[in-house]
Amino acid sequence: MSDLPYGPPVRVSPLIRFGRWSFLTAGILYGAFHQNRLSKKEAKFREVEAKEKVIRDEKIAKEKAMAAAAELKNLEDMVSGKN
Amino acid sequence: MASLVAKVPVLINTAIAQGRPKFNIFMKYARVELAPPKLSEIPQIKAGIGKLLSSAKSGAWKDQTVKQATLNALVGAEVLFWFYVGECIGKRHIVGYNV
Repeated sequence: MSDLPYGPPVRVSPLIRFGRWSFLTAGILYGAFHQNRLSKKEAKFREVEAKEKVIRDEKIAKEKAMAAAAELKNLEDMVSGKN
Repeated sequence: MASLVAKVPVLINTAIAQGRPKFNIFMKYARVELAPPKLSEIPQIKAGIGKLLSSAKSGAWKDQTVKQATLNALVGAEVLFWFYVGECIGKRHIVGYNV
C-alpha cells in the first residue's frame, strides 16, 4: 500500500457502509416499483382518453359543420336582404 | 473541421492514458472505503444500530458538541441521499417519473 499518495484508506464504519448500500438498494427497488405502478396507471389513463377523444372529435366536427351552415345562411340572408 | 474531427480519437486516447493511473488509485481506495459490508461485519453493524437506538432512547444524542452534531447530521444526510440515487437508478430517469 506504499503507492497510495493520500495515506492509507480510511476505515469507514461498517454501519455507515451498511446504511449506504441498504438505502441504495431500497431506493432502486422503490424507484422500479413506482415506475412500474405509475406507468401502468398512465397507460390506463391514456386508454380512456383515446376513447374519449373519438367522441369529442365527433362532437366538435358536428358543431363546426353546424356553425358553418348557420354562417352561410346568415350571409345569404344578409346579401339577399340588402339587394 | 476535418482536422478537428481527426484529433478527437487522439484526445480521447491521451485522456485515457492520463486518467488511468489516477483511476487505479481511486479504485484502490474505493475497494476499501466503498466496499459493501461483509458478512463478518454483521455483529459490528448490529452493535452500531444498538448504540444508535440506545442513545436515541436515553437522550445521549443531545450530549454532543455542535461540531460533532454537525458532522453526524452531514453523514446521516449523505447516507440518506443514497436512497434518492437508488430511486433515480430504479426509475431510470433523473427528474420525475418518465411514464
